[in-house]
Amino acid sequence: MNLSFTSPALLWGLVAAALPLVVHLFFRRRPRPTPFPAIDFILRARQENQRRLRLKRILLFVARTALLAAVALAVARPRLVAPEAKAAQGAVGPAAVAIVLDASASMGYRRFAGTLFDRAKADAIEVLTGLNSDEPATLVVCGGPSVPQAERPSFDKAELRRRIAAAELTHGHADLTSCVGAAVQALAESAAGQALRRKLFVATDMTAVSWRLDAAPPVVATPSGPVRPEVTLLDAARGERLENAWLSSVAAEPDPSVGPRGYRITATVNGQRRELEKDASLSLRVGDGKQERMAIRSFIEVPQAGSTKKTLAYDFPTGGPAVLSLSLPEDAYPEDDALALTLHVPREVKVLVVDGAPSPVRQRDAAFFVEAALSGNSSPVRPTVVDQDGLSKVRLSDYDVVFLLNVRSLGEKAPELVDFVERGGGLFLAMGDEVDPDRYELELRRILPAPLHVVKTADRSAARFAEVDWDHPALAVFSGPAREGLESVRTFRYMLLKPERKDASSRVLVRFEDGSPALVEARRGQGRVMLFTSTVDREWSDWSIRTSFLPAMQRIAAFLAGGLEERRDWPTPVFAPRILPAPEGIQVVSLLGPDGRERRVEATSGAASVTPDVPGLWQVKVRREGKEALDPTLAFAVWPDPRESDMRRLEPSELTAWFGGESHARVAGDRPAREGLDIPLWSWLLVVAVAAFLAEGLLVA
Amino acid sequence: MADQGKKLLDPAVLSRLATLKLRVRAVAEGVLTGLHRSPHRGQSVEFAEHKEYTPGDEIRHIDWKAYGKFDKYYVKRFEQETNLRAWLLVDASGSMGYRGAEGRLSKLEYASALAGTLAYVLVRQQDAAGLLVFAGGVAKAIAPRAEPSHVTAILETLEGIEPAGETRLASAIDFLVERAQRRSGVFVFSDLMDKEERVLKVVGELRKRRHEVTLFHVLDPAELEFPFEDPTMFLSMEDERKVEARGRDIKKGYLELVRRWLEETRRVASEADIDYVLARTDVPLDEVLVPFLARRERSAA
Repeated sequence: MNLSFTSPALLWGLVAAALPLVVHLFFRRRPRPTPFPAIDFILRARQENQRRLRLKRILLFVARTALLAAVALAVARPRLVAPEAKAAQGAVGPAAVAIVLDASASMGYRRFAGTLFDRAKADAIEVLTGLNSDEPATLVVCGGPSVPQAERPSFDKAELRRRIAAAELTHGHADLTSCVGAAVQALAESAAGQALRRKLFVATDMTAVSWRLDAAPPVVATPSGPVRPEVTLLDAARGERLENAWLSSVAAEPDPSVGPRGYRITATVNGQRRELEKDASLSLRVGDGKQERMAIRSFIEVPQAGSTKKTLAYDFPTGGPAVLSLSLPEDAYPEDDALALTLHVPREVKVLVVDGAPSPVRQRDAAFFVEAALSGNSSPVRPTVVDQDGLSKVRLSDYDVVFLLNVRSLGEKAPELVDFVERGGGLFLAMGDEVDPDRYELELRRILPAPLHVVKTADRSAARFAEVDWDHPALAVFSGPAREGLESVRTFRYMLLKPERKDASSRVLVRFEDGSPALVEARRGQGRVMLFTSTVDREWSDWSIRTSFLPAMQRIAAFLAGGLEERRDWPTPVFAPRILPAPEGIQVVSLLGPDGRERRVEATSGAASVTPDVPGLWQVKVRREGKEALDPTLAFAVWPDPRESDMRRLEPSELTAWFGGESHARVAGDRPAREGLDIPLWSWLLVVAVAAFLAEGLLVA
Repeated sequence: MADQGKKLLDPAVLSRLATLKLRVRAVAEGVLTGLHRSPHRGQSVEFAEHKEYTPGDEIRHIDWKAYGKFDKYYVKRFEQETNLRAWLLVDASGSMGYRGAEGRLSKLEYASALAGTLAYVLVRQQDAAGLLVFAGGVAKAIAPRAEPSHVTAILETLEGIEPAGETRLASAIDFLVERAQRRSGVFVFSDLMDKEERVLKVVGELRKRRHEVTLFHVLDPAELEFPFEDPTMFLSMEDERKVEARGRDIKKGYLELVRRWLEETRRVASEADIDYVLARTDVPLDEVLVPFLARRERSAA
């Protein structure tokens, strides 16, 4: 460490430090002679505090001398400079310069009456301004998915300044290691720079996730061999810790206990801050655009470090595509304070229950059991019961699913039912004494999962369900002990089916112990059909009084209405490609981003691939039958890059060590680590002067 | 009128009066005025005998009870007290010449005014007053007498003394012990700046010989408050010693020593049954004398 002075000529001021001595020696005041009677007391008083007075006089002399000397030294602006720092500064000769500007999402952190990106741009322009005319420069804007590229250093500083001013913050991640590599490559390719030193300036927030320090450090290939560049890190955060709280994920799971369209929404909140924040508000909003409204406002404890979860319950009032968003109070980095999610909430299922054998005794009426099972409070199913005569008066297209319970024949209604199914309707068939297999074969052959044969009475004991396809969406609700409710069903009579046709769209979901089908599913046209080979009253089976009956009926109705498919829209990370499904007759035209800008999509056959560049809710505009409109079923959520939320910063020493140590790299700005290399001493001297002044005052007093 | 008289007793005013006689007269009148307010007036005379009335006698002394009994006029006769002998010991050493501020009495002038006033009051009530002026030794001595003209002699002596030499109270006490055979009242006016550290013990010897001893400790306010701040060369007033010191540096230590000295003096005086009066030269003399005389009267009663 060397001591140097900014204004060494002002050291002459140190002569002033001799003033107290001169005054003491030459300008002492002569004591006034005064006769006094009590001279004995004066003698004794002086004797008692003579040592203290002498010490006080010495201290006073030292304080006055120190006061003058410290002020005189401070005016000369002394500082301690390490030799290594001088080497890193490389004070001689022109240089080829590469500037790497970090444009990653985290640079949007608000600080110093703007963002860190604004400050980084100002730093970069300041570097350009400080260059001499014989020093070429190049710029790498680093952020997003694009591969970093750097042009050869040029002397056109105005163009570089314009590019820096026009640079925009991205919402993506920055791999500064790659960007620095590209910048160093450009310095190596610089023909003009062969005789010059190489300088690299990196304007960044120094977040650790932007660097891969396990990679090889950058070196400039020169004809005389590889050379490390002189690196200056322009810390946009000026050494400050960057605190952040963010939502890292939101998940929504159906929860029937909440309501017919109830969901359990779980938010994961992360924190990196000095102090734990209690009672931070967590808001759940549903809908989008003008329909958006606050649904739930809750509170959550944001941890100092790590994550915590909060689960909210919400029952959507209607089915169909839905948007929800969770948000924390906006902090310095607002990008990750809210996450959106798109859902397909099951619609209300309208079921027509046709009772083929109505009974005045309700316990003997199959429709009684089915209606009771379908119309629970938490059920999305709305059943309507008619008898066979009433069937002729209803329009099947008003319903989603038709339940035929022990119906002898459909008569004239049969063709309408077949058409209903093939157009996408659902049909559930239950057997009984009234069912005539021949008539069914005649009227419903096209949509039956399998031809009906004869009724079989179980031998000795009742038949039980043996082989069950537990993975089927309609039966997946039974897990663990709940399966017993299905396995314990006793069946006394059931309809045998004729040997199965080779039909890939038909499959047996449940079989009896003897292998006979109990529940068969088939796809017919766009619709679905399910056949139960026994009764849903207590005539042939006791399923209707088993615990499994209610959930099974609701799930079967939902399945037949097409509402049980796994239609989850997983959110897409920003800059990750997303495939947009293109249903038949629909063409994706454009995307409307959360920033309000519309992006046209290239007309392609089949699914379209897009790369969203802004986090938030994206709407999809489609052309259907020649008309363009937003399709809410195709809307999707884009989440910010989770890496950018991690604001942990690198220690400057780690980064400078990676670049080759303090002899090759330094951090510009007022950073504490920097003080170790170039320590201004004048402020400390002023502190000493003030302390000496106060001490002098105290001693005199 | 009372305020005017009070103002006259202020030491600053007294210092402007040229002679001690004038000062004593002014002070004595103030003191007597103050004493007349005492409820014990007239206690100093005692009834002796009856005498048949003759023209010229005071009518107010006629005993009307005797007239009732004997049908003759008798006049009461009183025997006046003339048996108190008082010695006034005035310290005239160099240190008594100190005057802390212009317009203030020096300690010797203040002590002389006190002693003179006391002599005047004593003789006026038919007591005998004597004077002993001492410095290194006994400088002047006047035997006690009760004649009014004797006060003039005491005042002229006091007016003529100049402060000089060391304080030697012991020599004055020795002188007094030899001369004062009868029980006497002894009034000492001194600053007690004596080389002899146990000077009060010596004064205590008088008490043992049944003399009534009163000590007027005369000090200038500057000695008690030490108002010096700047570097000063302090010169001894009784010998050749001198000390250079910055007033503010030693002030605290000095005041502590003076406080301890005064406490010790009071304690020793109390133990020796000596009446102790601190007399600051900036305090009006009547404020020193009136309470003292009133206290004496009360104790005599």
